[in-house]
Amino acid sequence: MPPSVPRELPYTDTKPVGAADFYYGINATFRFMLQRLGPAAWQRYLGELGRGYFAPVNRRWREAGLGAVARYWREFFAAEPGSDVEVVEEADRVEVRIHTCPAIKHLRAGGREIVREYCQHCFYLGTARAEAAGLTMRLHGGNGSCRHIFARPEAGLPPQDMQQIKEATS
Amino acid sequence: MMGCYDFCAHYEWTFDWLEKEGGHALLRDYWRDAISLDSQRHARDLIQREGFAGMAKYWGHTLAEESPDLGFSITRTQETFRIDIHDCPSKGFLLRNGLASCPDYCDHCLGWIGPMMRDAGFAIDHEHNHLGQCWWEMHPADTAGGFNAPGSVAGTKDVRLLPQWQPPGTKLDRYQKATDPDDKLPAT
Repeated sequence: MPPSVPRELPYTDTKPVGAADFYYGINATFRFMLQRLGPAAWQRYLGELGRGYFAPVNRRWREAGLGAVARYWREFFAAEPGSDVEVVEEADRVEVRIHTCPAIKHLRAGGREIVREYCQHCFYLGTARAEAAGLTMRLHGGNGSCRHIFARPEAGLPPQDMQQIKEATS
Repeated sequence: MMGCYDFCAHYEWTFDWLEKEGGHALLRDYWRDAISLDSQRHARDLIQREGFAGMAKYWGHTLAEESPDLGFSITRTQETFRIDIHDCPSKGFLLRNGLASCPDYCDHCLGWIGPMMRDAGFAIDHEHNHLGQCWWEMHPADTAGGFNAPGSVAGTKDVRLLPQWQPPGTKLDRYQKATDPDDKLPAT
């Protein structure tokens, strides 16, 4: 359960955590878009979602800085059932260390065929959100555990190596 | 990461994106192919195999998980499986957070449940008021269907008996023996 009332999440519910079966819907949405519209359209969807739907969060990150980024991810994962995540704030970056991804865990437990690009969605979405907030985002790992970095430009992170993002397996 | 906590909100945003991308036909296909046939295939399997008993298992679990305050009621008779939603956890999330990207979010339920019921041999009578309240009656497809009088199946749990069911200016969307989101009856 969240430690207190979420203050960084833009939209809040009356229940403390989400219903994990909704991960089935996210996975199925990705499969539909990838098969029907293709990878470029799926990536464009994630970028527009990041800049549009998440605009209130991006504004908050831009105005309040890395502290708000760290608080957001703590509150976010507290409301995602089954997650095991550590959020580390440093001077020029926030690292989100996802030891257990709640989505991959639940999709596997439910015997679902996970789209192999699933873990890329965090990069395309996260990059759009970070750029709107004046930050950069990098992702390492995937397929159940990974590390997201949200950094100030002066951190000078090397470009994202897409080979660093693992394909998801069922 | 896209989360499950605010799923209903980015799900609704996605309806709008898809409709702009490929029109109503793409959105209908999404509800059928992605949600009905893929995401909710556990519901399909249960209902095709067990009929009303499968509906009771599916919605008993799902509504309890999404709506722990139990803002719903399930009634079962020999020829009818009825759900009265008094406080929809999904539309309620959107209303409480002031979200309205899509003209009629509530249509998505018929969009995925309709094809599932058709394939399992059922048809649907349904009304929603766009305020987080609705009712559903599932009947075998070869029975007459039609709207039962308020209270005649669910008694006092019938959502139509609530004072807030149809406040002035409310537009009810109505479906009769339907399995398609575009089967909406003309407004009366």
